[in-house]
Amino acid sequence: MKLPLLPTSVVGSYSMPGWLERLKTEYFARRISRHDLDEIHDNAVKAAIKDQEAAGVDVITDGELRRDNMMDYFLERLPGVQIDRSSKKFYYDFYNCSVQGKLPMALVGVADDFRFLRSFTDHETKFCVTGPHALTKRIHNEFYPNEEALATDLARVLNLEMKELVKAGAKVIQIDEPYYSGFPDDLDWCVKVLNTLVEGVDAKIVVHICYGNRYGKPSWEGSYRYLFPRILDAKVHQLTLEFARRGGEDLDLFREFKPPFELGVGVIDVKTQAVETADMVAERVRKALEFVPAERVTVLPDCGCFHLPRDIAFAKLCAMVEGTRLVRKELGQ
Amino acid sequence: MILQLNHLPRKTSAASAQDIVVTLQSLLEEGHLEHEQFANLCVHLDWIQYKQNFREAVTVIPCAEEPSGGLPFFEVHVDLRQIAQGALRAEMLKAMAPANPDFGHPRAVQEERVLLEEFRPFRTSIAWRFNRLYWQRLADWEKSTGRGYEEALPGGKSDANHPQAVADGVADFWTLVRDLDVKKQLPAEIFVLEIGVGMGTRAGLWLDRFHKLDQERGTNYYPRVRFLLGDYSPATLERSKAAVRAHMDQCSFVVLDALNPMQTLSFLRHKIQHIHMTNVYDNLPDEEMARRDGRLYVVEVRAYLPAGDAERIAKEYELSARDLGRCIERLLEAGPEHFADRARGVNFWQQVWAAMRLEERLVCVDDVRAESLPGELDRSRLDEILREAPSDVRFHLNSGALESFRNTLPLLSTRGYLQVQDIFVTHWSEYQLGFHGPGKLDGSIVNWVNGLLLRETAERAGYDVHFAPFRYREGSRTSILYTTQRE
Repeated sequence: MKLPLLPTSVVGSYSMPGWLERLKTEYFARRISRHDLDEIHDNAVKAAIKDQEAAGVDVITDGELRRDNMMDYFLERLPGVQIDRSSKKFYYDFYNCSVQGKLPMALVGVADDFRFLRSFTDHETKFCVTGPHALTKRIHNEFYPNEEALATDLARVLNLEMKELVKAGAKVIQIDEPYYSGFPDDLDWCVKVLNTLVEGVDAKIVVHICYGNRYGKPSWEGSYRYLFPRILDAKVHQLTLEFARRGGEDLDLFREFKPPFELGVGVIDVKTQAVETADMVAERVRKALEFVPAERVTVLPDCGCFHLPRDIAFAKLCAMVEGTRLVRKELGQ
Repeated sequence: MILQLNHLPRKTSAASAQDIVVTLQSLLEEGHLEHEQFANLCVHLDWIQYKQNFREAVTVIPCAEEPSGGLPFFEVHVDLRQIAQGALRAEMLKAMAPANPDFGHPRAVQEERVLLEEFRPFRTSIAWRFNRLYWQRLADWEKSTGRGYEEALPGGKSDANHPQAVADGVADFWTLVRDLDVKKQLPAEIFVLEIGVGMGTRAGLWLDRFHKLDQERGTNYYPRVRFLLGDYSPATLERSKAAVRAHMDQCSFVVLDALNPMQTLSFLRHKIQHIHMTNVYDNLPDEEMARRDGRLYVVEVRAYLPAGDAERIAKEYELSARDLGRCIERLLEAGPEHFADRARGVNFWQQVWAAMRLEERLVCVDDVRAESLPGELDRSRLDEILREAPSDVRFHLNSGALESFRNTLPLLSTRGYLQVQDIFVTHWSEYQLGFHGPGKLDGSIVNWVNGLLLRETAERAGYDVHFAPFRYREGSRTSILYTTQRE
């Protein structure tokens, strides 16, 4: 499928409806069955797909509505990770978990969720995988000598899963690494681990790095300068960063370091319910184009829309699409 | 009949309970009370610590309608502090008259009251307009009574201004700032916000202390501090300037509504490192709910003046009974200057306020519109929260405090924290162990704050809430709420 110039996409999650939150909690309280919850998830995902299509987004996801949060979706499936199932109060809380021995090499088992997405849309799709660095920060490590060793083994396991996703038809896979910004000193080994993760994976690899979006608020502050020049060694195709909330100052880094990869530019602030206008979006895209050629830019929200009410999230995506169209028109497309 | 001894001084409990049982038994035997009514009666014995409050010595609280179609139950609340010796039977008869028209009481209670409004949730009661007037015309009130509002507090002064509490708070804040600095995450401007600044005393103490600590440690953070003093009263903000005179370069004065600080300060979203409030939540619009036999009820109120008080006030101000209501309305709209003699206007205000009482009734939540629950608190969530509560409990919803809380948290920076000094209920059982408002403090209203609902709201917004006792003054009932980031 040929994508237009300045393709639009989402970072991953779509608005989590209040009713779905309540039903997830009902499941944890053992008042509804796993079978019922799976059916509920199927229907919620179909609705998220439809919303993204209706908004006109070019590359869509399943809205990640099956996920309690970006960590547990993988951690509870990862062989060798011990989960304390009593450690959650709310469905979106993180499980307490640990690793007490070497991680076995086995599939995680999320490819079926990608297949479900593929079967309900003709749009280009993307599947998001939480990166080894972020997962490492949530695991109590009782076996590996250090975080890098644990993250490297996580990368090897997830590499198998990413290849399984490719077999299932995935052409774009996004690695979510929001904790880079909180632990910039880790970056040296993070890039090595990232390259282990993507080795031999025949798909377009996107890395999303933000400043956190837990509970709809940032977890850290600072500048993306910490990424450079080390990130230039990453064997990825696109770097997706947040610029709407933080402003476009760090765009200059792309002129200064001339990275070999594309830029996914965040033009929608997902930490406020104020809906951007198409003009605001267009202005943010134009700003990005001062630093990166249009052929190498994808337009996205800053991060997932998980915390936004559905009507707000939809309106923001519509504004993003409309604003991008304005710029395409200016470029003669 | 259920008799509930809620929170009584030990000496009076047994005797009072006996008196109540004997009195009600005699009313039953004499035919003043039907057997079915007796069976549906719940009597609460209270000891209300606020000398000024909105209750009669005996208050009957009917249930508007029994959802199952059975006989409505009603509650009788007896304030043993108010009841004069030997007056129980007469007070009981008088209060129960509307519940039983056959009581044969010479005048229906309704006729003994000048109603100021129709039944409604407390939050929208006229009582809150009086509360607002008090803060808007504080100087008039203080001039009339000859004492500042802080002197009217139970301890005679505000816990906000305790020097050691302020010093400890500053030390904690300095540690945070230092940590951010070490991690290269300290912004150029360090924003601090106090909401509800009173005389500005705490802000002044805080800045004095921070400046000194900064100098002692040679960190040079003080020039980067932007201290915002926020209050909805421009007059209060003006008055607070004297207390921070030495730090004017660091201070900004912002008129804001404590219910929604974000509305005014949206440009500081995620930028404020520390927000402090003392005794703000306990004075924000509030309503109560009750759970009885598993069902949830809103406590609706109707403000009134006892007929005797109304007659006395009307006579003193040469008003007809009809004009009294109009005069009160004008007072609330225009303040005491509605009267040609302003001091006389303040006196009228004070007399009306002192006499004002609240009638109450219970309305099943299924009967009221969903909007009566604040913000993100819907019925299913409330039911979830109440799972841990006793089956029969009356509690404060503190919708104003919840609204304020929810609209304050987004201002906090990534590592920022909120600190609230107030009177909190932190366990459901406390509602059965004491009276938690509303009470009157001079011209304002005071309610204890439901910390359990705040905790729930905070968790959903990404914060854990902790309560620590205010250990700086012996006997203080204040607690300190502070937030930490939730993972």
